[in-house]
Amino acid sequence: MPIEVIMPKVDMDMAKGRIVTWHVSEGDTVTKGEPLFDIETDKAAMEVEAADSGILHHAVPEGTDVPIGKPVAWLYAEGEEVGDPPAGLAPAEPDAPAVKDDPAPRADAPRPGATRREPDAGEKQRATPRARALARDGGVDIDAIAGTGPRGRVQAGDVAALLDRGPAQLGAATFRAETGPLSVTRSKGGTGTPVVMIHGFASDATSWAPLEAHLKHRPVIRIDLPGHGKSPKLKVASFAALLQEVRRTFDDLNLDQAHLIGHSLGGALALGIADTRARGIASLTLIAPAGLGPDIDGAALSGICRASRAESLAPWLRRLVADEDIITDSYVRLAMAGRSDPNLRAAQSAMADTLFPDGVQAVDLRAALDRLTPPARIIWGKRDAIIPWRHALRAPGRVALHLFDGIGHMPQIECAEEVGVLLRSQI
Amino acid sequence: MNAQTRTEMRELSYAEAIREAMDIALASDDRVILMGEDIGVYGGAFQVTGDLVEKYGTDRVMDTPISELGGAGVAVGAALTGLKPIFEFQFSDFAALAMEQIVNQAAKVRYMLGGSVSVPLVMRFPAGSGTGAAAQHSQSIEAWLGHVPGLKVVQPSTPEDVKGMLLAALEDPDPVMIFEHKILYKMKGHVPEGHYTTPIGKAAIRRAGKDLTIVATSLMVHKALAAAETLGPEGIDVEVIDLRTIRPMDRETVLASVRKTGRLICVYEGVKTLGVGAEISAMVAESDAFDFLDAPIVRLGGAECPIPYNPELEKAVVPQVPDILDAARNLAKGRI
Repeated sequence: MPIEVIMPKVDMDMAKGRIVTWHVSEGDTVTKGEPLFDIETDKAAMEVEAADSGILHHAVPEGTDVPIGKPVAWLYAEGEEVGDPPAGLAPAEPDAPAVKDDPAPRADAPRPGATRREPDAGEKQRATPRARALARDGGVDIDAIAGTGPRGRVQAGDVAALLDRGPAQLGAATFRAETGPLSVTRSKGGTGTPVVMIHGFASDATSWAPLEAHLKHRPVIRIDLPGHGKSPKLKVASFAALLQEVRRTFDDLNLDQAHLIGHSLGGALALGIADTRARGIASLTLIAPAGLGPDIDGAALSGICRASRAESLAPWLRRLVADEDIITDSYVRLAMAGRSDPNLRAAQSAMADTLFPDGVQAVDLRAALDRLTPPARIIWGKRDAIIPWRHALRAPGRVALHLFDGIGHMPQIECAEEVGVLLRSQI
Repeated sequence: MNAQTRTEMRELSYAEAIREAMDIALASDDRVILMGEDIGVYGGAFQVTGDLVEKYGTDRVMDTPISELGGAGVAVGAALTGLKPIFEFQFSDFAALAMEQIVNQAAKVRYMLGGSVSVPLVMRFPAGSGTGAAAQHSQSIEAWLGHVPGLKVVQPSTPEDVKGMLLAALEDPDPVMIFEHKILYKMKGHVPEGHYTTPIGKAAIRRAGKDLTIVATSLMVHKALAAAETLGPEGIDVEVIDLRTIRPMDRETVLASVRKTGRLICVYEGVKTLGVGAEISAMVAESDAFDFLDAPIVRLGGAECPIPYNPELEKAVVPQVPDILDAARNLAKGRI
């Protein structure tokens, strides 16, 4: 029987996706894991890898909108007879278990003509409702807990014991790692050298919107960091491993030249990319970058990671900015909505623990800044409470410094206009 | 000892408490009549009516012929025309003979006539096993009637409650079915004097506890309480809820307890399958209290067979204290 390739669900409120590009043609042999097609939704665009191997047939044309869970093509075995597209299409209900909240490509495409495969008994964690509720509230991944109940059932006490061990171990110990490429989204329109943006820790690509409004003349490409936004929650062993992942994503963009902009952790990553890809960098903009000194507000980082409701998130968000009035209740609620997935919070906790152990920046990129060749500028707010702006003073003379009075850790949001005008004149 | 203290200490048997309630009702309301087989001179199959016929006469304490269907029909008709009959079955099992009148008439007339009439009828059902009366005289059929909208179905477990609930039933405009466990008839307990009512549809927390909840009905409440006393010293703190009414069921009391303890055992004498415990379990599973469950729900109910005559077998087919102890220990220690 041929294997169904379906439209994956790549974000929560997605009902359908558009096939933008096929990377393979009708009759081509596909190997599991290789890029198969690109999809675009209202919010995102991403590449989907093959979940199985086989020979591609019955691919829907590019530009077609396909409901999630519906087939977009079929993979046939070598020598298997290819007739009409198989019947018995997969049901399209958005919450079908096999596609639920699955940001990565389907690994278990159902066979046509058969009912959807139920998960094997071993696939789903046994847990009591109370344990699940506790885990949900505590931001713990229930699947990563070893249950002490009958048949390994996780009971409330198992979760409570884990929560008692404190937040540091929690994230590292319990988030459910995923695989797959980082999410890359692109603006519509713009010409010339594209701008590539890398957001900061605990943020995501959508945070660039205020700044992007000033950069519409260029194509803008945003990368979501692992465990952030729409990217899979990868296990990140070190800053070097994170840099490698982001650099691979940057390389895959296949750009001759790019203006690179990074904020905070994204600044450190942008600097790291510029260090080894200098020839492809038209300019480098570092906004309140990490990596130039040991100090960082560890309490704020772990506080943001830990917060499971708007009330506990708000105080930390206010610390990010100089003018707290910017952080309205609705802004906080929106930010919390984006952080509602406990596994995302757990993944970020784990990342914070790796990159900023004990509230210290474990990575030192001052040497990279010293040997930097592309035109570069550092933008910082002089009321930054997360990373001290004085780290900027370590930059060599050829790097431009733009220090804003009365601005906190988020100049690209707090004074988007000024930063935007500044960048537009040079990008 | 002053008068008030004497009142507080007064004890009656469950049967005496019922008789006192009927006496109060007969004395205070001319519309109240008693009907049933052998409730007059004989005093009732379980001597619950006693000598009330001497006090109120045969117009108000009426022996009915040996036809449950006929007697129940007359009672429904009397209720429709303004009387408040208390109809006694000799054994709850015989309700099977009167189902037409109970289910198709008493429960439905108000609805079928657009609310223009009501059936203020009280029926009393001596129920349950433990008397060696075998398959046709020992059943617990409350769930049959609990399945019928239009009826209220209560299972008082104490002398105080049975008096209060019988008096509450007489104030209710709709038919109320009272299931009285025969083993409880001789049980003594504190009963306040005079007229009072015990609310229908409201469960009672007989023992507060934090580790697991037992929701029990009728005689099983006492078995659950006995088990709880044994479990306390073992470090298992059991909350015992006496459901008291199975229709309408007191959802809030049960759910609040499950939210607190996270563990639930339902103990009831009726056949386990499709019984009261199934309803309690489903009610919890459908509610927000589901999120508080930290173990599977356990039902202890009657075996899937008729009640045997052999006394040992009769005990074996309904939940006993050791069964409750086993279930509670396994549940509290995370073994099931």
